[in-house]
Order: sequence, then structure tokens, then C-alpha cells
Amino acid sequence: MKNIQVRVNGHPVAREIPDHRLLVDFLRYDLGLTGTKEGCSVGVCGACTVLLNGQPVSSCLALAVMADGGEVTTIEGLAEGDRLHPLQQAFIDYGGFQCGVCTPGQIMASKALLDANPHPTPAQIKEWMMGNLCRCTGYYKIIEAIQAAAAEKTEP
Amino acid sequence: MNAFTYIEPATIEEALATLVRHGEEAKLIAGGTGLVNLMKQRLVNPGCVVSLRRLAGLADVNLDDGKNLLIGALCTHRTLESSPIVREHAPLLAEAARRVATIRIRTMATLGGAVVHADPNQDLPPALIALDARVKLRSPKGEREVPIDQFFTGYYETVTQPDEIVTGIAIPPSARTTGSAYLKFLPQTADDYATVSVAARVALNNGTIADARVALGAAASTPLHARVVEDALRGQAPTRKTLEQAAALVGAIVDPIADFRGSVPYKRDMAIVFVRRALGDAIAAAGGAVI
Amino acid sequence: MEKAVMEGPRSIGQSAGHVEGPAKVTGRARYSADITLPGMLWGRALRSSFPHARIVSIDLSAARRVPGVHAVISGADLPEVRIGRFLRDIPVLARDRVRFIGEKVVAVAAETPDAADEALSLVDVEYEELPAVFDPIEAMAPDAPLIHEHPERYEHPPIPPIGGESRYHPFANVCSQSIYRRGDLAQGMATAERIFEHTFVVPPVHQGYIEPHACAAAIGPDGKIDIWISNKTPFIARRQLAAAFGVPEERVRVNPTSIGGDFGGKGSLMDSALCYFLARASRRPVRMVMNYTEELTAGNPRHSGVISLRTGVTRDGTIIAHQAKLIFNCGAYGAFIPLHFLHGSVHSAAGPYRIPHIEIESLRVYTNTVPRGHFRSPGAPQTTFAVESHMDMIAGELGMDPLEFRLRNVLVEGDESAMGERFHHIRCGETLTAAADAAKWNSPKPPNVGRGIGIYERAPGAFGTSGATLSLDRDGKLILITGAADTGTGSFTVLAQVVAEELQAPLADVIVCQGDTDTAEWEEGAGGSRLTHMAGRATLIAASEMKRALIELAARHFNCTSEQVQMRARRFIASDGRELDWKSLVAWAAEHEALPLTRSGSYVAAGHPDVTCYVAQVAEVEVDRETGQVRVRRMVSAHDVGTVINPLTHQGQIEGGLVQGLGQAMSEHLLLRDGAVTTAHLGDYKLPTAMDIPELTTVLVESQTGPGPFAGKSIGELSNVPPPAAIANAVFDAVGVRLTDLPITAEKIYTALRAMEKRN
Repeated sequence: MKNIQVRVNGHPVAREIPDHRLLVDFLRYDLGLTGTKEGCSVGVCGACTVLLNGQPVSSCLALAVMADGGEVTTIEGLAEGDRLHPLQQAFIDYGGFQCGVCTPGQIMASKALLDANPHPTPAQIKEWMMGNLCRCTGYYKIIEAIQAAAAEKTEP
Repeated sequence: MNAFTYIEPATIEEALATLVRHGEEAKLIAGGTGLVNLMKQRLVNPGCVVSLRRLAGLADVNLDDGKNLLIGALCTHRTLESSPIVREHAPLLAEAARRVATIRIRTMATLGGAVVHADPNQDLPPALIALDARVKLRSPKGEREVPIDQFFTGYYETVTQPDEIVTGIAIPPSARTTGSAYLKFLPQTADDYATVSVAARVALNNGTIADARVALGAAASTPLHARVVEDALRGQAPTRKTLEQAAALVGAIVDPIADFRGSVPYKRDMAIVFVRRALGDAIAAAGGAVI
Repeated sequence: MEKAVMEGPRSIGQSAGHVEGPAKVTGRARYSADITLPGMLWGRALRSSFPHARIVSIDLSAARRVPGVHAVISGADLPEVRIGRFLRDIPVLARDRVRFIGEKVVAVAAETPDAADEALSLVDVEYEELPAVFDPIEAMAPDAPLIHEHPERYEHPPIPPIGGESRYHPFANVCSQSIYRRGDLAQGMATAERIFEHTFVVPPVHQGYIEPHACAAAIGPDGKIDIWISNKTPFIARRQLAAAFGVPEERVRVNPTSIGGDFGGKGSLMDSALCYFLARASRRPVRMVMNYTEELTAGNPRHSGVISLRTGVTRDGTIIAHQAKLIFNCGAYGAFIPLHFLHGSVHSAAGPYRIPHIEIESLRVYTNTVPRGHFRSPGAPQTTFAVESHMDMIAGELGMDPLEFRLRNVLVEGDESAMGERFHHIRCGETLTAAADAAKWNSPKPPNVGRGIGIYERAPGAFGTSGATLSLDRDGKLILITGAADTGTGSFTVLAQVVAEELQAPLADVIVCQGDTDTAEWEEGAGGSRLTHMAGRATLIAASEMKRALIELAARHFNCTSEQVQMRARRFIASDGRELDWKSLVAWAAEHEALPLTRSGSYVAAGHPDVTCYVAQVAEVEVDRETGQVRVRRMVSAHDVGTVINPLTHQGQIEGGLVQGLGQAMSEHLLLRDGAVTTAHLGDYKLPTAMDIPELTTVLVESQTGPGPFAGKSIGELSNVPPPAAIANAVFDAVGVRLTDLPITAEKIYTALRAMEKRN
């Protein structure tokens, strides 16, 4: 067992966990943050995407101990109260999801994209997002949603 | 995944001592994308996982006085693809890193991991072979360097000893009239292992090929250095015919496995096609033209 | 502007984001794997590693001793029941025999997944291997190993009279046989001037939803059984579960959860019956979450098959006679489809063509492989690939343009379809022409670029019963309780739009709740492109009843008759000019204890719909002759549609379906070797990514003719069907290579090109 301290969505969290706990299970079952989904379990589908120290990672391939001392952002950490993050609103307005199970991962991955590149071209969006599989939308509306959110995104 | 003890040494000396102490029970972890997948499938079941993540300096990218590019083992693929120094001095490595899996893997997976994992289907090893890279290893006995094309010994096997840690890579400077290309043949979907991949680097001198490096991924049980192609190019004018003839020589040395990405004959034929195309692209990048 | 105010807000025809959107984009939406109850255990299953074997003995003793393990059960611990969506032929846990690699043999409930896995690793099962058969044609051979010894003992509901003569288990290893005949095939073939015969092979593919099957079960102190399950038809699941548990239906409550993609694959019970038996054995709530390897190796993927077509035509290209023999591999069990046969295969074997003489035989054959299930327009994608490739091949042989050949033979108004349906407002030719025009069918093409066309027809779903309950609360909000699950298609949003339209309410004032099976009206659920039509109609009835009730309330307020009150722009207007707005009526009703006001609607299918829907697609591809690689440059998808209730979600169905069809054309193949699925994770089973999608042009051929509310039709199971044929036809157009098996891989094209070079 290990004691780890992680800032999760801005809040400090301390837990004792088994050394081999995966980050996705730590979030979902130790912290109850079930917004992060597990799809393929092998780092391919992207449903479990969270930001670890600002970088998108597959939480199904990360050990929770490797987040010790770090900062994790999940889908639950994006909205401010009732105010949705512009990406969240755009995914609704532009039809960027259907069943919604890949959506937390899609939104976290696209947040990382806009953090790194606030005005991506469609080609850059596709290249960045190709690791987030969606079986419902065919991706067209995800790309539109990200473009729309980027267009409204105010410079920091 | 079976339970294990996770240890996070603070120094390289401590990490080496931990490896010695735990012997075969121990596995090193950096980004974890390879090892965690193997552990989840219970293909690898270490009693002890030794993390390198706290080792200072192992993620750095530097140029030494001799213009050798020195890259720490913990440098992520994401850093390799975006670092201005890497992009300037080893664009081939930056391009190969950009083609690895997806952004989520590239933010986690490291250079050292990609090298020591020795997966013949991966992208960085062929690029490193084409760049004449040397692998730096550290053990309690000291340091050593191994030329990358002598590093891989078999399917997922390398010369690394159980008490050794790969600490980084050194890449010698390239001549100014050098161009490179990395081609990854993905006939199924954009996120896949290559059916075949080719890294090529060509140095031109007065309209002839002064020197060339060609290496392939997914073409044999190890990343494959295609010396026979290089020998056929040296001193030749870059004609389409020369490239075709040189590329055809790779057919005799590739030894791919048949899988759903292609049969052996298909992969062999594609190796020839993509060696020729990569050489053409590298010559163009060097400012030359295939005549 | 004035007019808009007069009529109130219009919802139908407006793009609206999903009403459950805020929950889905914030991570609050709860899927089955997200359900956690106090004391909950993890259920896991040990699966067979043999394709066909007798179970000699099972030793559970070591597994039971693992700390944290609360129950370990095998088939012997369960009642002798078999489950299934129609045919009940699969046991909850194998008894005596396993019939495919991945069949569940032992299950365990433990406090952690690690403890569950450890227990399973200590289970000792002794098997005696039996001869196995993997290929459906080999399975029909006289000396093939018998997979089910007494299939006649398997129960099923009465077989409904659809699709010709159908029967179960007509001969050894055949699960179902269906034969449809019309006209006189022999006579038709005799009249034909040319006869063409081709055979096609389609591989198994997986639905590819990102949420693996998950479920949870809890038994209350009163014996009430609560189930959470990623199932699109909660009421049908309840019926099947109650039968499996041997309890009355009212003892089982299926609770609503979000569903992480369905595409036909989420209609079965999967692990949920087993989950209950684990909860019963452990006296604790249990959850079972499949991992994706289990999904790919032991889910319910699409039927693979061999499709042979024989068509007789006149020299000028008129189809006279058509024969189809469809042999599908249904895997080890037939339990995973909701009908007695693969109906869509029979229907689409005829295509949208005028064919006087036709004979279709569709077989589902047992093999020792993963059981097959439904997947988006089940039976049609396989068969349409064959039919639409075949039509191109015939056109080619006759020297006709593929579009011209189709236009000559497709149904026109007044025709009866080959299946004997009489549709009105047939827009088959218009849809084909619209696709061809948008694709510039006849414009010049660069070298190695080709265009191909494909067409498919499917009528809106009209079966079962749908229900809806609508309440007006004290805040003036309209609360719709539906028993339908929204699998992601936007059905909640469409139902909300129907309510908003009928009651002239802003969409934000309509709240859609999925009720559990205790509280919601009976609802057949999602499937067969029926929800917009059926649940939409039921909702419209409830909304109309609500409107009538509100007018009656207003009449009471005005002290007049309801005939003297009109509702316009959310205002109630008496014939003497007095007016009352919505808010005031609600306030008055609250005072007079008339709230909440509740009205229900129920809708039963009135029979097969008399209108249908067509989709025609053109693919434009470029082939790299050196490698065989195909790039799909562009797709045009033209649709014959009714009133489009929600353009945003309607388009979403077209786009998502098309990319699924693209995957099935280009990269998806559930590979099996000796009965074992070898593409066992999503790294090897290749779903299209955002980088793989073509430029897409959509054309809507509109008419207000659908059977749904406000004349809507269906859209969910259309765009996914033609892509494999359209792309294969385009490849032929580009480089002259005809592929008759899917997927269309670079290597197959490369090999064919090299062979052509050698011949020349």
C-alpha cells in the first residue's frame, strides 16, 4: 500500500492505495469520479483520457502512484458550477456526442489540444483527436464542436 | 494485474542498487504505457516495479560541444516531436516520434522505454538506427555506450543487462546536405502499427549520394538496418533506377511475420516500395532531386 | 415575426442539442458500470478456452477459500434455464458442455476485482475436448460434429408470420431457415437472356460501441430484484430476466441508465442474469463489467456469411428473376437476436428492385464460434454488399452504366416490391439521381480514381407497443416519462420536441425522464428504427390529451364549454375574447387542486408502414497502384426523408452510420483462428479514427410523408448499409479490381493488380 497525495480538479486528495492501483480505478472507484470512462483498457480508445499535470494521458495505463504529487483534471473539473466550459457547451450545441460514453475523454483531449494550440486547423484537430474513438458521430460533429469552441475561446 | 511493490528511487545510484537488490523480480517503469499493458495481460508479473520518474536530468535534451545531440531516456515522445533542438538537429527523430500511436501515448511513453522495449514494430528504433545513435547504459560498474544497431538482439530483446539502466541516447551531427524521411505505411486506420515503416537519411555531395542510412520497422524480429541498400547507393547519382535497384535489395533481408496487417510476400514488396519512396523523400529533403 | 408569436415556439424542424447533454458533457450521466451500491461485490466469469468440450468436472474449493470471495458458482448451482432474446438456447453458465471459446463456465463474486480474478485462477475445470466446427458450410455436412443434441427442446415464443416460411432447427446444426418465394423462379430464369451468378463473403464485425456491457443486480429484503443493465429494451429485459429467475415480472425492476452505444448489440441480457444469481448466492449487490477483450471475443458480433446470388436479366438490362442463398454463421447459440431469423437479410436480398420471380433462402448455422447478434440494420449490410456489388457486375457485363442499370430496375410509384409490399411515395429513383448529381457522377476522373454507387431501402420500424406519460407540474413544466432508453440517437430530444410542438412550449420547459420498469408505461424500446415513429406517436397522443385537458381547465376557469376555448401561442382564448396565459392557467389549476395533471399515451403498430426510406450513396476513391491502398476521397449520402424533426441529430445519425459502414468496408474484421477471436483488443480490431473519414456531402430528398409524428420517417439504420458496396464498386471503377469479400484491404487489391499485370 502507498499513501499518495494528488490534486484532483483543484482539490487536494490523500489516499492509501494498493501499489498496483490504476489511475482510472482510483478516480472511478476510490474517489467516485465516474465521469472518466473505461473502454478498451489498452490505451487505444481514449475514453479514459484525463489530464495529468496538464497533459492528456490514458488513465487505464497509468498507475495511480505515478500521479503522486501531481495534478489530475477530470471531466468533473471543467465546469464552474452550472457554467459549462466552452467545449462542453459546444459539444452539446454542435452534436459532438450521441451516447456520451467517449465524451469525457473527447472533451479532455480537446481541452489539452486548445491549451496547446488555441486555434487548430481541422487537420490538426483530426491528428490530435485520432486517439479518441467515437462510434456514434463519425467524428464530423466533434471536429465542428472543437472548431466552434476554439473560435469563441478568448485569449488568456 | 498482479500486485507488486512500487519503488521510486531518488537517484540513479539508488535505482541501480534497487535493481541489484531485487534481481529478476524487478522491472523498470518510465511512462508505463508498455509495461502496464503487459502487466494487465499478466504477460509480465514483476514483484517490484522501480520507477525512474524522480531521477533528475534524465528528461533533458542538450547539444554537447561536438554538436552531439544528447537526449535523456525519460524524454517523452511528445517532447521529441515538439522540441526545437530535436527538430533542428534530428528532424527524422521528431517525425518518427510524431507518428507514434496517439497524443496520449506520446505524452507518457519515453525514448528510453521505446528503445529498451525493443518492439520491432515501433517507430523510434528505425529512426535512431538511421541517425547512427548510440545508447547510453549505466550499471553499478559504470557507463557504456552501444551503437543502436548492435543494441537489439531479438524479438523484444536487447543487450541491456539486468543491472543496467538505459540513461539516454547520443546522436552525432549530420552533414549539412543531409535529408531524411520517415514513412509509416498504415493501410488500415491512422492509429495502427505500421505494416512496414522506413527511416531514411541521405547525404548528398555534388549531385551524388555521399552516404545513406536506411532502417525498417515491422520488417523482422528486430528493427532492421538495411546496410545492403546503403552500400548500393553510396557514390551513385540519385536516379530513379538507382533507387529502385537499391530498394529491391531490401527484399532479401526483410523477415516479417504474417499477420492481419499483411502476408510475408506483401510486407516484403511493401518494404521495397517504401524504401524507395523514403529515399526519394530524403533526397528531396536534402535539396536534391531524383533524376 | 408576428406570425411566429402567433403560433408559439416551433420545435419540429429545429436543431436542438441533446436534452441530456449537460449530464453527458460533465460526467454526471450514469452508465451501468457507474452504479455503486453499499456492500457491492465484483462479479467475474471464467470462460471456456475450448471451442467444443464436455465438462468432466469442476473443482471450486480452492476458489472459495480466497479471502474476500463471497460466492463461486457453476452451472450446477443454477436452475436449468436457458435465456435468449427469442430462441432461448444459451445457458446462464455452461452445463455439461461448452460450445465456444469464451463461454462462461464459472462465476465469482468478490470484494475486489483482484480477489475475483485470483479465485477464478484457482478454479479447476477438467474438459474432454470434442470435435469442433467453425465454418457454417462445413457445419452442414453430414459428418459434422453436432453442436446442439436436442435443439427441439429449446423454448421460444410463437413464430410470427413474417418473411415467408421460417422454421427453427430444420436439420442438424442449422439454427433457423427462412425461405421466401414469389413468382416462378424456374420460369423466370428460363425467360432470362443472360444469367449471372456471384458469391460474396462477409466477415464477422463488432458493433464497436465504446461502453462494454455492464450490469448490476441487488435483491431487496422484500425480494424485489433491482437490475441496472446496458440494455436498450428495459421492459423486454425485465420479461426475459423474470423468466430466467423463475419469478413474476413485477418482482424485477430494470432501472434506467445511460447506454454507451448500442447499434443493435445492447439488446441481450449478456451477464445480467448471471449477475443476479451471484447476488443471490453472495447475499450482496454485485456488478459485472465486461472488459473489451471479452466484448470482442464473447460479445454478440454481426453474423458473417457466404452469399450466393443468381440473377436473370434481359439483354436490355431488365431483371426478370433473382435467387439468393444466404448462409450465415450464427455461432454457438442463436439467443442473441430478437427475431427467429435474420429478417434484414431476406428483405435486402431483393433490394429495392422490381423483380417478378424471386427465391431467397436464408440460413443461420451453428458453429463453435462466438454467438452472433444484431448490428445496425441486421442482415442488411452483409446482403447489400453482395446485392449492390452483383448489380454493378451485371451492369458491367451488359455494358451499361451502373446508375442507368439501377434506374431501369428500381421500384417506381405503383410498383409492388419483390417482397410484396405496396409503398406509396416511392422515391428510389429520385434518391439515386440526387446522389449521382451531387457526386458529379459523369464528370471526368483523374487516373486511379473511381466512383461507385450503392442503394438500400428500409421502412420505419412499426412493431410493438410504445407508451408515454406526460405531467404538468406546479411550475408549468412538462415532464415526460418514457420507458425507452436513449441509446445515444437523440430519442429523448425528439420526444421532447414532439411535446413542445404540440403544447407550443419552449423546449426547455419539457423534461424527459426515463422511468424504471415499475413507473414507466410499457415500452418495446429502441430497435428496428422504431422509436421516433412509435414512441413519438405515443408521446404525441399523451401531449394531445394534455392539450385537451388544459383546454378543459381553461373552460372551467372561463366557465364556458371547452369547444369555446382555443389554445394559441401558449394562450387560452375564449370565444368571447377573454384570455389566459399558460402561467396564469397553471397558477389557477394549482389553486383548484388540478395539478399535477397527468395524461398517458399508448401506441400500437397499425401494421407494416406504407411508406419506406431510401438511401443512395456514391463513393469516390483513389487507389495507390503500387501498394493497393485505397483512399476514400469523398462520400455522398442521399436520403429520402420525411419531416426532419431535429436536423442536428438527424445528420448525426447519417454521419455516424456512414463511418461505421466505412469501417466495415475498409478495416474491420473480427478474425478467428480455430474458433478463437484473434483481434481481441481495440488495437487489433480497427475502428475508423478521426483521420480516416472522407469528405461527406449529404443530400436530403424531402417529403412530408412519414408515419411518425409530424410525418417523420426513420434515419438510424440507413447510411451504414451501402458504403461497402459503394466503395467496392468505386475500386472496380478506379482500377478494375473486383473484390467480393470484405474488408477491402490494400493487400487484396495489390494482389489482384499484380495478377492482372501478369495476365496482360
